[in-house]
Amino acid sequence: MGVDMSYRDRRLATRMDDPAFRAEYESAQRQIAQIDAVMRRLDALREEAGKSKAQLARDIDKNPATVRRLFSSEVNPELKTLVAIAEALDADLVVKPRSRRRKRVAA
Amino acid sequence: MGWRIVYYQSEGGDVPAEAFLDGCPTAVEAKMEAVLSAVAEAPPPSFSGGGMWEAMHGAMSGYFEVRVNGPGREHFRLFCLLDRDGPGLDEPAIVVLTGLRKPNATKFSEAAYARVRARGEDYKGSVPRRIAT
Repeated sequence: MGVDMSYRDRRLATRMDDPAFRAEYESAQRQIAQIDAVMRRLDALREEAGKSKAQLARDIDKNPATVRRLFSSEVNPELKTLVAIAEALDADLVVKPRSRRRKRVAA
Repeated sequence: MGWRIVYYQSEGGDVPAEAFLDGCPTAVEAKMEAVLSAVAEAPPPSFSGGGMWEAMHGAMSGYFEVRVNGPGREHFRLFCLLDRDGPGLDEPAIVVLTGLRKPNATKFSEAAYARVRARGEDYKGSVPRRIAT
């Protein structure tokens, strides 16, 4: 029989009862999801373009290992590197304001 | 398939990662837990963790860290291992070992890193894996 692995799940559930913790956790989740989505989208565009990571690295004058590590979350992505990758993949990084209604509710 | 998140437990029964998280500011603790959740949902080699999850190098090669900055520009680090098929584990797991904190513009000592590795070696030598339950 395996070890009971649910200890962390129970601890997290207890911590989520604290409104301050929950608000911070959910905010962090949204921010993480956005960054992860950008990185995965860029990687998908790279694959759609038929470019290897080494090829993409050459396009943006970076070391192939740098680009490989970037897409496997071994290093923190820099915005200027992401913009260069987007440019090499004929894409734009876009910041989209949230809806006016959501902003009014938040205010 | 996602991975489980487990906390390493020492032979004496303490859970250093939990003790560390308990001592963190709420925002730091929440952010670290959110990073762990994201990485567990989309484990390596996927990009995951919002840039706050990083593989370590050099003497710490094989370890991963969650990197979060807190109030007063203090830096918080949570050290982890990945265990794909450890004895007694039903699923691949992110093993949370322990944490460290330091003021801005300072470094952790080699001794501090050695203590982290000692936790990791203790975990890897445990059969079945010794985790908090």
